[in-house]
Amino acid sequence: MQLNFLFKDRKKLRLFSTKVFIIMKLTVFIITISCMQLSAKVYSQKISLSGENISLEKALLSIGQQSGYFFLYKYNEIQKARPITIHAENKSVTDVLNECLKGQPFTYYIENKTIVVTEKNTVPQIVQPVLKNIKGKVLDEKGQPLPGASIMVKGTKVGYTTDIDGGFTINNIADDATLVVSFIGYKPKEVSIKNVTSSITISLELDESSLNEVVVTGLATTIKRSDAASSITHLSAAQLTGTTPPVTIDAAMSGKIVGADINQNSGAPGGGISIKLRGLSSINGSSEPLYVIDGVFVNNSEFSTGAGAAAFTSAGTNQDQATNRLSDINPADIESIEVLKGPSAGAIYGTRANAGVVIITTKRGKAGQTTVNVSQDVGWASAEKLLGSSNWSLDAIGPQGQTKFDYIFGNGTHYATGDPSMPGNEATEIASWQKATAAGQIHDYEKIIFGNIGKIENTAVSVSGGTEKTKYYLSSGLDNETGIEQRTGFQRRSVKLNLDEKLTKFWTFSIGSNYLNTGNQRSFSGNDNRGVSIPYTLAYTPNYAQLLPVNGIYPNSPYTGDNPLAIVARPINTENTNRIIQSFNTTLFLLQKPSNTLKFAFSGGLDFILTEDEVYFPDDMQSQLTRPNGPGASRFSDNRSFNTNYQGFLIDNWKLFKTVDMTTQVGVVKLSTNNDFSWIQGEGLLPGQINPNNATVRTSNETFQHWTDVGYVAQQEINWDDKVIATGGIRFDKSTLNGDNNKLYPFPRASLAVNLTKFDFWKEQSVNELKLRIAYGRTGGEPLFGNSFTSLSTTSYGGLLGTLTPTSVGNPTIAPETAQEIETGVDMSFLNNRITFEGSYYVKNVYNLLNAYTLSDGTGVISYTAYPVGDMQNKGIELALGGTPVKQPNFAWTTNIQFWNNRTKVTRLIIPTTIVGGGFSIYGRNELKLGSSPSAWYGSPNAVDATGVTQPTQYEDAQPIYQVSWSNTFTFFKNFDFSFFLHRSYGNYNSNLTQKQKDLGGTSPDWSNEDNLNGTTGVPDGKARNPSNPNVTARQFIQDASYLRLREVGLNYNVPKSFLTTHYKNTIKSIKIGASATNLFTITKYEGYDPEVSNYGNQSVGASVDNTPFPSSKRIFMHLAVGF
Amino acid sequence: MKYFKIKQHILLIGVMFMLPACSVFETKQVVDPNLPSQASVLTNATAVQINELGIGLQSAMRNGILSFRVTTGSIGREMYDLSSVETTFTTELLGTTNGGLSATTGYNASYDNFSETRRDAALFMNAANNSSVLNDTQRNSVRGFCNTIEAWSMLFNLEMQYQNGIRISFTDLNSPGDMLNPGPFVSYTAGLTEIKRLLDLGATQLGAAGTTFAFPMTTGWAGFSTPATFATFNRGIAAEVAMYQSDWNGVITALNAAAPFFSLSGSLSTGPVFTFSTTSGDITNPLYQLKNTTTAPLVAQNLFISDAEAGDTRVTSKVALRTAPRSYNGLVGNYDVYMYPTNTSPISIMRNEELVLMYAEAEIQLNQLAAGAAALDVVRVASGLKPLAVAKPAILGNQAALITEMLNQRRYSLYFEGHRWFDMRRYNLLNTLPNDLPAMQVYVQMIRPFAEVQWDLKHPQ
Repeated sequence: MQLNFLFKDRKKLRLFSTKVFIIMKLTVFIITISCMQLSAKVYSQKISLSGENISLEKALLSIGQQSGYFFLYKYNEIQKARPITIHAENKSVTDVLNECLKGQPFTYYIENKTIVVTEKNTVPQIVQPVLKNIKGKVLDEKGQPLPGASIMVKGTKVGYTTDIDGGFTINNIADDATLVVSFIGYKPKEVSIKNVTSSITISLELDESSLNEVVVTGLATTIKRSDAASSITHLSAAQLTGTTPPVTIDAAMSGKIVGADINQNSGAPGGGISIKLRGLSSINGSSEPLYVIDGVFVNNSEFSTGAGAAAFTSAGTNQDQATNRLSDINPADIESIEVLKGPSAGAIYGTRANAGVVIITTKRGKAGQTTVNVSQDVGWASAEKLLGSSNWSLDAIGPQGQTKFDYIFGNGTHYATGDPSMPGNEATEIASWQKATAAGQIHDYEKIIFGNIGKIENTAVSVSGGTEKTKYYLSSGLDNETGIEQRTGFQRRSVKLNLDEKLTKFWTFSIGSNYLNTGNQRSFSGNDNRGVSIPYTLAYTPNYAQLLPVNGIYPNSPYTGDNPLAIVARPINTENTNRIIQSFNTTLFLLQKPSNTLKFAFSGGLDFILTEDEVYFPDDMQSQLTRPNGPGASRFSDNRSFNTNYQGFLIDNWKLFKTVDMTTQVGVVKLSTNNDFSWIQGEGLLPGQINPNNATVRTSNETFQHWTDVGYVAQQEINWDDKVIATGGIRFDKSTLNGDNNKLYPFPRASLAVNLTKFDFWKEQSVNELKLRIAYGRTGGEPLFGNSFTSLSTTSYGGLLGTLTPTSVGNPTIAPETAQEIETGVDMSFLNNRITFEGSYYVKNVYNLLNAYTLSDGTGVISYTAYPVGDMQNKGIELALGGTPVKQPNFAWTTNIQFWNNRTKVTRLIIPTTIVGGGFSIYGRNELKLGSSPSAWYGSPNAVDATGVTQPTQYEDAQPIYQVSWSNTFTFFKNFDFSFFLHRSYGNYNSNLTQKQKDLGGTSPDWSNEDNLNGTTGVPDGKARNPSNPNVTARQFIQDASYLRLREVGLNYNVPKSFLTTHYKNTIKSIKIGASATNLFTITKYEGYDPEVSNYGNQSVGASVDNTPFPSSKRIFMHLAVGF
Repeated sequence: MKYFKIKQHILLIGVMFMLPACSVFETKQVVDPNLPSQASVLTNATAVQINELGIGLQSAMRNGILSFRVTTGSIGREMYDLSSVETTFTTELLGTTNGGLSATTGYNASYDNFSETRRDAALFMNAANNSSVLNDTQRNSVRGFCNTIEAWSMLFNLEMQYQNGIRISFTDLNSPGDMLNPGPFVSYTAGLTEIKRLLDLGATQLGAAGTTFAFPMTTGWAGFSTPATFATFNRGIAAEVAMYQSDWNGVITALNAAAPFFSLSGSLSTGPVFTFSTTSGDITNPLYQLKNTTTAPLVAQNLFISDAEAGDTRVTSKVALRTAPRSYNGLVGNYDVYMYPTNTSPISIMRNEELVLMYAEAEIQLNQLAAGAAALDVVRVASGLKPLAVAKPAILGNQAALITEMLNQRRYSLYFEGHRWFDMRRYNLLNTLPNDLPAMQVYVQMIRPFAEVQWDLKHPQ
């Protein structure tokens, strides 16, 4: 009664403010708890009752106390009963009751833990259900027990959970009851127990359609996939890491997310991946999605090592191609990944979600037997492709012969014109070549450097298990790989503990602690500003150069800034990261009723990163000998980033008209970031010294950044019997990154999904699901730190401090850029979910795109740092077709084909056409230009247009026209599975400068061919492609980089259970042996190392520049996994 | 009783929720933790801030040097940058690229540098005008200095842009949100007129600036660090402007006002310099390179050596024979540009040698051939050469031949200082500059910067 009373009261209180509401909710909660404590008892099934001539009332009271049943009877009636004598030992409740009421004018029936005792003649005789006790076991498709599966008695609220052996016991169940057995990832099954006498075994089938998969969509709530109104990509551990072990999680996602453009920036160990979801979301910031791991908003920055910065060059730090920090996360710990691709799905994440949200859930313990898994991979990496080099020749009639020497080394100009005794430079080269040829000293330096086999060892150990109350997952991973270049490598060590505790029925909490240590040695590659990028120097090194060390001393290279072999062997470019990611989640049920639950969910976390970089060039290296500040340079950087986030949500789930499930949530979110980046560098080091303290010129720098975001969220979900699911919500965000730190920016969302097959009118049995969906949402993209500041810069001159006017002025009224998306789609599944289809079409508009507002530079100010300069539109189609075409006991084939495309267009621009991104002048750059794509290439020739302005020519886009991926898994003879994964990218163009470097250096493999290219006759290709040929335009460099790539292939064998039982007596539960490979082959016309490339790391535009990158590798693995 | 306790708990928990709601979810304004704001100097700048702005302006003047020198040196065929890490030095910059200079070319970098210096000067003047720590005489010292530097930096951009012209005005730099609307481009002639006006204004202000500057002058300005001595530098620039205007009498007038900086008998090296240091925050000499580097060597165009008169010490003091020639993209460099022995060697801003050569040019143009030749001899003798009467007596009475001689002396005296290209242009001799490769061509002027073109397209005036 109290409950009911308060329940009504709560409804009234809704009129009051939220805080009062919270208090009242708490009242309900506390009182509920106290009530539950009064009445909660164990329903023990066996009771004893002894007594001589005791009243029926007393007997019933005793039964009630022992069994936990309530009794309902009329006091007046029960007094009429005659006293009873009974001696029952350990009998079931019904037996005892039957004995008590034998010969009495009473009968009884049981309903919901309540036993109703009535006079026989006053109640119409109802058919007494026959009750029985059954035992059972739930098994998976392979016959393994399924602990934690849920068993409901159909038509009741009575539910059971299987124990660690998959077993369950149900007593006093109606003879003809039906059990509904379900487990996540499996098809639910209904089993009648009519013909079951005592025990039953129930096998569940894997649910290939994953329709019942729960996907995380909100900050605090989840939704069944079949109810989702947005296309949300869900990647399971099997999809991510099942076939072959990836270096990093983001690499594991490559090609698997419909709607994502994922590119590897560098082939160097440790990866470096850029991900763009549904096209470009920003120009100012990166288009990288937001990553959330177990509720912790993690930092995915790239920290510059300084390898490309001052002292080592004046190049921009984005040319360092550092790895992104997602590489710290151990892929083996990932349970699943959900990708909210656009604002319609990610609106609830507000101001940081413009580029999409990637929600990562790590593995957690399951109740039941302790599981120990040990796995070991051994792998080998080798270059996917080496470019090779052309030969040199003096053959007068052979291809090019001596003219190659002339073209490359002097074109006939003679040394020291005033001194005729000095030979021409080409003559010197010919002499060197002759000497090398005679001595047999022709070397393939590319092969010497990149022709090695890298070794990969991944070891993972995990222990998980627990009870219904406490679950744990403890893992440790040790990954170590060496690159195809000596002294390069990547190491990751991680320890993770996930703990879930169910304190009481209404209060759970979980924590996750992850310590990570990542080391990375990347050597020097990519664009070069100081003559030390190895692939760059290789382009200019002829094969007759003598660069091998003599007595340990590397000779100077006459062709490049340094000897590439010395760069391999001597300088240092390393990064070491120590990181702690800590998550905390707790849920407090304030109200738990079948028709209404109210819970408070709090989660928070921190992500602390300390990345230390070291770059060092010994003082006796060739490139150091001519350093202006003296030879020898070192640079040590500390990048500290401390990120915290927490959120509190009240989630109220209640029923409206019995069939409408309402979920209301309100919450508040806070995120903060505190960065401190510092470095010290020394130039002109004392011989052999590495500490910058021992340097002639010491420079240091310190940068602080801190910002805070706060968001308020409210969302309502309405689910009418899974038929129609509507969601509406809004989030208000404020941030110190905005010009007005207190202004709240709204991010609304709304969505509707209609499951036609759930309606009664739907008769077509072959169609299991036909869902129409539409979703709308808005997200934000924050200004970058400092965008609102107009600050003087400082300088030092003659020992005095000076200040300079800013060349870029801040925007004091800066606000977030926003993206608005409408997504429509249809999800279908046929033939018992054996075929599924998902199609989506979206239009994503980015409004008030932030970008530098380029001013007239004659004013001395280059730009406004960030300004709302216009709007941009992304449109795309995503299609996914999956199915199990063959399903035989000994052979099954599962396949999934995905197609997606995206086009980007600038739809409004208030600023002049502006260059964006990197890119190299005439060889291809990107422009922010009204009506065209910001990732389209522009380059020479420059021509005067109708307005009289010299404009570069527009070329193709760096974005692919479409991408297709095809994954297949074949299971045969039950224990073998073979899978492969193909990925096609079509119509993406790169700016290929690698070829240009090799042409200039005389090392391109086809240098000597004469194909009369670019308006030449009788000129070798390498010369004809040279930009000093006036007929050469950017067309030469902007090249089609379409490809078809076998990303993953794997074959695994699971040792049969019977064998394990026979030989290991259940000590070993599973053994899996396998082999796999990554990027085994790539079919492409593209002539660089890898069509996936970026000289500039993770930037929104201008990334697809190929300038002598680290060659990509293919990787081959052997696996062994043992479960105990 | 029980109820009462529960209620207390509820209240407690409620309060726990409400309290943090006030402070935790606040987002406090973040000010730049790394740098001072521009606004802090615009109103009532302190003496320290005035000093810092003065030092900043002097420091900023150094910024455009590298880009300006390499661009003018390459187009003027004085030297080549045979960088293996940047091909456009040997293609686009030398005219081989289809369509000529790219609209977005990096070779306009000095345009931004000198524009920024100009804005530094404007900011400094603005701060001084609004600062109560300065009296009017002191303000005049700032104004005179700033106007001179503004004119100096505009001259670089005007010469680079030539017939494209430059912008000579923009709206108040410091009112936020006005986009700093610039005035239209004015012709080369109008640009020179404006620069002259600024110099004359600066000279007047320096005349009313008392005996010392209201801010510290760096050591490179030794000898030019008071308003009066700095004014001689101002007149030196004025002479250069007059030279570009072909106002030969104007050159003589300005040079006379530049005395004692200008002196036919004094040291030719007298003049203000940029200094460099390895102190953190300072810069080192950007033109310094060690000999024989293979990364990005600046090499002399070979004719600089072979065309030289025997015994010219300027050749040996400015270039050095490489141990191995450097070849790249069809060009070969046998000599390194080697003008600065260390990374802290100073770079001359303007020196008496240039003033003497301008004097010679003006006299020759005014047909005062003897005076002109005498001035040329000052430079020749100082460079280890014989006077003209001994070395080239035939040209003494020949104005055209003396002009050729004068240009040649300028070529060697002002090597790699950004004069050769403009000198050849002034005398319509660009076609005489060598093209080492057939596809090379000599540009008349730089292309107008992309951002400027786009600005005018978007904001037609």
